[in-house]
Amino acid sequence: MAALVRALRAGHGAGRALRVLPRVLAPHCDQKCMFHGAVLRLQDESKCDKAASATASATHHVHHDFQQAPPEDAVSEQTSDEGHRPSSSFQEQSGEQDEEYETEEQLQARILIAALQFVPVHGWSMEAIAAGAESLGLSSASTGMFTGAGDLVLHFIAHCNSQLIQILAEQQKQVQLGQAEPKKTADFLKDAVETRLRMYAPYIDTWPQAMSLLLLPQNIPEGLKLLSSLVDDIWYYAGDRSTDMNWYTKRAALTGIYNTTELVMVQDSSPDFQETWDFLHNRIQDVVNMASTAKQVQSTGEAVVQGLVGAAVTLKNLTGINQRR
Amino acid sequence: MAASIKLFARRILRDFRRNVYISASGVSPGSIHCRAAQSCRCLSHEAGGRSTHFGFETVLEEEKAKKVYQVFENVAQKYDVMNDAMSLGIHRLWKDLLLHAMNPQPGARLLDVAGGTGDIAFRFLEYIKSQEDKMRRREVKAMQTPSWQEISAKYSEEQGAEPQESGAVVCDINKEMLKVGKEKADSMGITSGLSWVAGDAEELPFGDDEFDIYTIAFGIRNVTHIEQALLEAQRVLKPGGRFMCLEFSKVSNPILSKIYDAYSFQVIPVLGEVIAGDWKSYQYLVESIRRFPDQEEFKTMIEDAGFYCVSYHNLTGGIVALHSGFKL
Repeated sequence: MAALVRALRAGHGAGRALRVLPRVLAPHCDQKCMFHGAVLRLQDESKCDKAASATASATHHVHHDFQQAPPEDAVSEQTSDEGHRPSSSFQEQSGEQDEEYETEEQLQARILIAALQFVPVHGWSMEAIAAGAESLGLSSASTGMFTGAGDLVLHFIAHCNSQLIQILAEQQKQVQLGQAEPKKTADFLKDAVETRLRMYAPYIDTWPQAMSLLLLPQNIPEGLKLLSSLVDDIWYYAGDRSTDMNWYTKRAALTGIYNTTELVMVQDSSPDFQETWDFLHNRIQDVVNMASTAKQVQSTGEAVVQGLVGAAVTLKNLTGINQRR
Repeated sequence: MAASIKLFARRILRDFRRNVYISASGVSPGSIHCRAAQSCRCLSHEAGGRSTHFGFETVLEEEKAKKVYQVFENVAQKYDVMNDAMSLGIHRLWKDLLLHAMNPQPGARLLDVAGGTGDIAFRFLEYIKSQEDKMRRREVKAMQTPSWQEISAKYSEEQGAEPQESGAVVCDINKEMLKVGKEKADSMGITSGLSWVAGDAEELPFGDDEFDIYTIAFGIRNVTHIEQALLEAQRVLKPGGRFMCLEFSKVSNPILSKIYDAYSFQVIPVLGEVIAGDWKSYQYLVESIRRFPDQEEFKTMIEDAGFYCVSYHNLTGGIVALHSGFKL
């Protein structure tokens, strides 16, 4: 099931169709803008809502990939600000070589990433998003593109998830190349969850506000999607290829561990969150012990039942009730 | 008195019959007026400029602006009262919804075109004030136990005002409407942050990239060249700025549509005559609503003007639509 979803993920990433628009870099481009607008109308006709609804109808993994790609693009855009994109035929046609194009979603992703630096001051709120937009040179009215501060939190979580995937994939490559030892499952889970939760460290003071935003009814579906995709990815990279009930029990267990550790981290005041990592270690040990305990209980139960049956047969033999002499 | 009432009743019946004839026979709305008007126009004018719609009539484009000016000149004094009477006060909710959707941040500059009596601008200023109060209260609460770094930072920072003060500019082509708006502002005691400018929506007297938010509430259907107004909006908005338009639109529900049509054509002109003493202006008003493009078409027009992330919300079942677009 996970493999099928991954195949979908690869296919969808290539076929993302979004409208492009000229970047803010060239402000006096009325004529060019109109021309671009006209040509782009002939191209893909999809706006923010349509793109969002299209991805919502796909599986959560596909949505996860969609969320993954814009932050990656946003990061690469920020690093290569004046670089040239591979010119499409449209660009050659218009002769504009110094204008960069990005989609509406990429611009929204850029605004949200810029807003993160204002979160310690304004909290997870529309003011932070407005400050982020202003730092990019856009008017604060562009916050109207976002339905609420929940958008900021969800985008940040998706961004952290994609960073974690990159780290885990890198580690897996190292193991496959033989440059690193494969970790035991318990250690792998502990490291993965710790890496992921450390990304919250700069915002830990305002994280309770973010968690409360995630519990708003309009943000719950998206939040659950991101959480389930995170847990699924961690288990995948831990080497889980189960196809039976174990798939569900493993993910449920890790979801419980992750959520409780997050709660402990929010109120942890020890240096470098040491108490949180100890708590995490203990919870993972509990789960591992529980798995082996369950097996022991089952075999013990079977043995006990066999013993009882044997005792009953012996009793019947002794008292002469047993007909089969 | 009895004679005038009889005259009045006869006039209502005549118009009622005319309206029923128009809607029942499915004749194109302009034809009846057109035939009479065109015959006399051919004698007086050359076949010169293009024609456009003025309610259900057809007029030359140059004339439409003048006729619209006359309409609003006549209704300016009783404009607010008539709004309340015709929409049963619901127009206040529509305008409040516009402000909530806008969610302006402190420091934002608003341009309210066809703002006339200033409803949107007043609400904008109130909203900004309450936002600033909230921010100040939050700051005070956070400052209860300042760390030494915060105290030293406070001493070192310069005592400067906000980088940009929020303010609203009300622009209207009609000086009578602006006069009424100014009187309202004076009576409400609003002194700063508000300015009144006379200007044409198709040719705004402002420079490029000046405003954060451009609103036009119940005004764009009166503009002769809507595309031109949209392009002007694109021009005066800052990058990232938002275009918001509140306008009467098509009702999709057939039952509601019938009730709405009956109310529009039978009740509203009568109210206009009784309260403002002007039947024809309010007849023009309801007819111009019918001639305005529907939600999807208007959305396409906004996109063609160069706005992105264009969306609309139907209010009151589609009677009013709130369109929003961004200059990115």
